[in-house]
Order: sequence, then C-alpha cells, then structure tokens
Amino acid sequence: MKLLSFILALGASLSLSAWASESFTPTLTDKLPPPKSTADHSKFKELQAVFKTGPEVTKACLACHNDAAKQVQHTKHWTWEVVDAKTGQKLGKKNIINNFCTSTVSNEKDCMACHAGYGWADKSFDFTKEESVDCLICHDSTGTYRKLPGDAGHPIYERKEFPAGSGKFVDPVDLQKVAQKVAMPSRANCGSCHFFGAGGDGTKHGDLDSALRNPSKHLDVHMDAKGLNFSCVNCHKTSQHQVAGSRYEFDASRTGKPQPQGKFDGNPASCQACHGDKPHKESLLHAERLNTHTDTLACQTCHIPEYARSNVGTEKVWDWSTATKMGPDGKPIFVKDSAGRRAFDSKKGNFAWDSYLMPEYRWFNGKLSYKVIGDKIDPSKAVEINHPEGSPNEPGARIWPFKVHRGKQAYDPELKNLLIVHTAGEDHTALWHNFDWPKAIETGMQTVGLPWSGKHDFVATEMSWPITHTVAPKGDALSCTQCHGANSRLKDIPGIYLPGLHKNEWLDLAGWGAALLALIGVLIHGIIRACVPCRKPRSKQ
Amino acid sequence: MFKLIGGIVIGVALGLAGAWFAAMNMAGGLMFQERVSPFTMEETVARIQQNIQAAGNGWALFGLRYPARPVEAEGGNVLPVMLIEACSVKYSGPILKEDSVRFLSLLMPCKIAVYKKSDGKVYIGIMNAGLIGRFFGSLVGNTMADVVKDQESFLVMDPTKPAPPMIIPKVGDGGGGGAGGSAGGC
Repeated sequence: MKLLSFILALGASLSLSAWASESFTPTLTDKLPPPKSTADHSKFKELQAVFKTGPEVTKACLACHNDAAKQVQHTKHWTWEVVDAKTGQKLGKKNIINNFCTSTVSNEKDCMACHAGYGWADKSFDFTKEESVDCLICHDSTGTYRKLPGDAGHPIYERKEFPAGSGKFVDPVDLQKVAQKVAMPSRANCGSCHFFGAGGDGTKHGDLDSALRNPSKHLDVHMDAKGLNFSCVNCHKTSQHQVAGSRYEFDASRTGKPQPQGKFDGNPASCQACHGDKPHKESLLHAERLNTHTDTLACQTCHIPEYARSNVGTEKVWDWSTATKMGPDGKPIFVKDSAGRRAFDSKKGNFAWDSYLMPEYRWFNGKLSYKVIGDKIDPSKAVEINHPEGSPNEPGARIWPFKVHRGKQAYDPELKNLLIVHTAGEDHTALWHNFDWPKAIETGMQTVGLPWSGKHDFVATEMSWPITHTVAPKGDALSCTQCHGANSRLKDIPGIYLPGLHKNEWLDLAGWGAALLALIGVLIHGIIRACVPCRKPRSKQ
Repeated sequence: MFKLIGGIVIGVALGLAGAWFAAMNMAGGLMFQERVSPFTMEETVARIQQNIQAAGNGWALFGLRYPARPVEAEGGNVLPVMLIEACSVKYSGPILKEDSVRFLSLLMPCKIAVYKKSDGKVYIGIMNAGLIGRFFGSLVGNTMADVVKDQESFLVMDPTKPAPPMIIPKVGDGGGGGAGGSAGGC
C-alpha cells in the first residue's frame, strides 16, 4: 500500500513539474525597461547640423546606419503592400479598400502622414530613394515629432494652423533636437499611427488607442506602466526593421510549449509564444479543464472580455451616405456626440461610437480574405470587406473575438464594385473641398485606372478586426457562465456543443437516468438499513 | 382543542415564514427598478442630465460619479457605471428641517445609475422613492410622491432630438451646487 502511494505521489509530482515547466515565468530581466542606448546621439557631429527637412536627417542617420534604409524599404511600413503567398493577391493599404476612409489611392498627401517615409504624394513616388525613409517617426523619443495630413509624410517645417480654420496652430518640429534623442520605439511611437488609424484616436482597431500610452493594469496586464511595462516591440519582435505580427500574417492557433524571448521559431506576437498552449496553472483539475479549451478558443476570447475599455472608445459605424449634407445655412457642419466624439461631419457622414464593447465571435484560422480595389460585390447584402476564414473542424481555427466595423460606402450600381473616392486635397475635385460626389469619384477611379459607369449609390459594408491587445488581468477573464449559460456569448457560433447552453435529449436522459438510479440506490440502501436493526455490536477493543 | 390551537399556531408560523420569504425575495425588486436605455452610456447620461436641468421644481445637477474607476485604479475590470446626482431644495428642505426624518439625508442627493451589463446593453437604475417614502409618514410620503413624478420625467428621452453633450462637473464641484445653482439645500 505504501509502495502504491509512493508511486502515485511520484507520478503526480513528475507530471506537475513537467506541466509547470511548460509555462514561461517572466524573470526580473523581462520586467525591466529596455536598456538605454550605449550611444549618446547628441554627441555625434553628423547630428549637430541644422536640419531643414526630414530627408536631411535621414542622410545623417544613414552615415552610420548604412543598411537601415534598405531594410526599411523591404517592410510593410514602407511599401504599404503585402502579397498573399498563396493566392498572389496584392494586399496592404495600397491595394485594399476599407470602410473607414476607404482608400489611400488619390489621397496620398493626407494618408501618408502615417507612412514611414517622406514625399509620397502620388503614384510617382520613388520607393528606392533612401533619404525618403523616415527614421524619426519610429525612433523619436521627445514626443515632439509630428506629421500632419496634407504634407505627404513630411513633418511640420513651418508654424501652421491645424485643422485649417480652427484657430489652433502647431509649431515646426525641432529636427535637430529629435535627431539627437533617438531611441528604441516606444508605445507612443507605434501609437502615433496605430492608435489614430482612420483619422482619430481609437477609431479603427478597438483594442488600440491613446489610453495605451500609459495604461494601468486593468487595461493591459502586459503594458501596465507600473508593472511589466511592455512596449509594442516586446511582442512584435523586430529584426532588420521587419516587425513581427500583422493581421496579414496572423498566427491564430499556435501550439506547443512557451519559448523564452529571443528564441522564437515562429510569430512571437502571440500569447502562446510566451505562455504555451497549456498556460493555466491553478488547481490541477480546474487548470486541465481550462487547458482543454485552448483547442477551441483563442486566448483573447476569454482574456479580453470587452474591448475599447477606456473613455476613448471606438468607432462602430461610419455612414458615408450622409456626407455632403450641409447645415441650415448651407455650410458644412460638424456635430459631436454626448461624449465629445465625432457624430456627424459634412465631409464624412455619420458616425456611431461606443466603449466597453462586447466582441463578436468568429471561427478564424488566421487568414482574412479581402476585397481589393476593383473586386465585384453583391450589393443585395452587407459586403464583407474582409472575411475571417476558418471553420469548426479545421485544426488551425479557433474562436476569436472581433470588432466588426459597419458602414455604408460608395459603390457603382452598374459595374458592381466599390468606388475609389478622391476625398482629401485642396483641388476642385476633392470631396472634402467641393462636396461633389461625382467629381470626387471620377478623379478617384481615374487615378486607380478603373472604369466607372457614372452612377453611384451606397452599400452596407462590414470589416472585421481581430481583437488581441488590451489583455485584462486573469481575474477578469470571462466566467464560465458567460459562455456556458442561456445568454452565452458564443450562442451564434456553429460547430460546438456548449454544456449549459445546448441540449442533447439523449445526454440529458442519460444524466437524469443516472441521477434517478443513484436516488433509488440510496433509498433502497436506507430502507435496508432501517429494516435490518439487528446489526452486530462492534466488539470492544 | 389542543389540536385546533396547534393548527392555528403552525398555520400562523407558516404564513409568517411565507411572508418573510416573499418579502426577502421581492423587496429588492420593489425598492429598486431598472430599465434598458436605447442609447450609449454617455448619451443616456447626457439626456438625463438635460432633463434634470429642464425639470424645474428646484432640481439641479449635483455631480457625476464613476464608481468603477477606483476598481480600475486597483487593476480590476468592471463594466462602466455612472452615477448622476441631482437635488431639489424644494423637496430636500422640508425633510432636512424635520428632526424625526433628518436621517433620510442619507438618501440625498437623489441618484440615477447608468451602467452596462455583460449582455452589452445600457441600463438605468433608480430607487423607488415612492415606496420608500411611504414608510416614513405623510411629510416624506407626499414629498417622495412628487419626487417620483419628476424622476419619471428625467427618464423620458426623445430619440428624434439631438444628443446633448454630457455635463462633466469640474473637479471639486461635487460638494457644491449644480448647474442650476439652486442645489445648496442638499
């Protein structure tokens, strides 16, 4: 008996230690902020010059970092283009249509405020010119480097009113000061574009907004400024300026053990890269139960119970069909909602915003299939601008949380494709300048080189954004009943059996039958005990 | 005879137990009410605030509190809650002047809670002032009956009217008068 107990205990401890070793525990080194540079850039004579333009700074950077521009020019941050390795389809901001600002084509001067380069004003932009690479947008540590829409990616060189007519002025960037204070990218660097996608704080993603510049633990357990204090590049590991982790190369279902930082063999920007696919460590039975969920659910499904969890909020709807409507005096109007977010703009139409939103859930294998410029659509139903691929029986698919952004945007009712609209600019055909849809569409479609029937209407569209940032502390993960209950969040997800939500008559019958048999057994046992009083008294020892 | 008395005692005891059980289960639902708002958190709050300011009868906004924020500051997540505080000297004054019911200052200022639940919907929670008032005599009962009428008007929201901006009190204003300038009695 003792031998049996010993064997059981040994087996349990071995399995526990093996199981525990699968989880990666952050060490003190991981919690420390990134090391400071070993070089004081302010002492470099190349950077002590007076810089008048961004390209001049880049030339100075390249004097030492002579391969940096070539590296950047091979990244999505430079090309704004991704080629799908399987289909050959050209994606990226240069090729897709979204249902926010809709397209960068013909609007480059504005959109390129977020390009890691200088001077992309139209299709004549020279992608080989090394001094056009913008080093400072990612490496500024002063927080003063700023690029505005309309300048084709150049920083502010002269004091100017922005937005035009607002009475607010922005000062030129002190390029020398910024160049002398370069550093590894911080959350603020990445966030200067990714928090403000689609033209406003929190507009696009739902899980990326300015609240992440200095977040508390409740908002993001990894980026918690007083805790682990991760910057974006802690997970989006970067080598030769190639930033890992992108919705175009999504790792939806990584399996296997955790890997210490710096030794990743795949996409490091996934939960499992650090935590493994069996991350739960609480009481053995409970942990095992939770760990079996990882074959079906993405980590984010439970650990990001709501998105846009700050006052910033996120945009849910953009309806272009009401754009160009003017106020009572015939002039453009701008209306804010109760929280001070944009609700209507004569230039852009209607918007709806909210915060603390429950995600929509989809099966997802990491592949988003996109509508690109020129693709045919079916306007009789809401057009999926992108579609999360994946099905219940697919080994690489998991149930993922999504923000689904809905909108209405211009399409050609005869040729049945989404239209490119020339929105931004000061020329007489820009929608935001003259409020004339046909002129703006004509210019947009000419620029992209596609035919237009001359007619336009508006079609409902949807765009899905996987939610993966703003991971809540583990105590705030979804509770069991939020999925296994009558009001389950996953009630519309096909292909899974959810105890507590779904019913199977035979299973229920078996369960109730077992309970009934147990009750009968107890009753019989009780009756026998009651009817047989003449038990032998125990002998005194 | 013994059986009869015993039966009555048992019957009364069972009746009391049943009443107690019913009261314990229903009291919460009677004392407080909640309803779904068709608007976002901020718009719901803004529309109620606007109604309070337009209500007359001495009503004024007293404050706006965020009970979820301290939880967030400690690193926890809870869905958002906003507490709109409003007060009317017309109603609070007589109660505060009467020693026997001054303890009801505990319920001042009046509060309306706006919160999200895990179903994603926005709810409005209010106290059933009419029911509570009935427990404390005619002065409080009559006052609370008037408060209930006004409170109902706070919650009438016309979706055809544009969303007003939410009124966010300046830091430090919580203890002073509201936007109407007449809430000093609270």
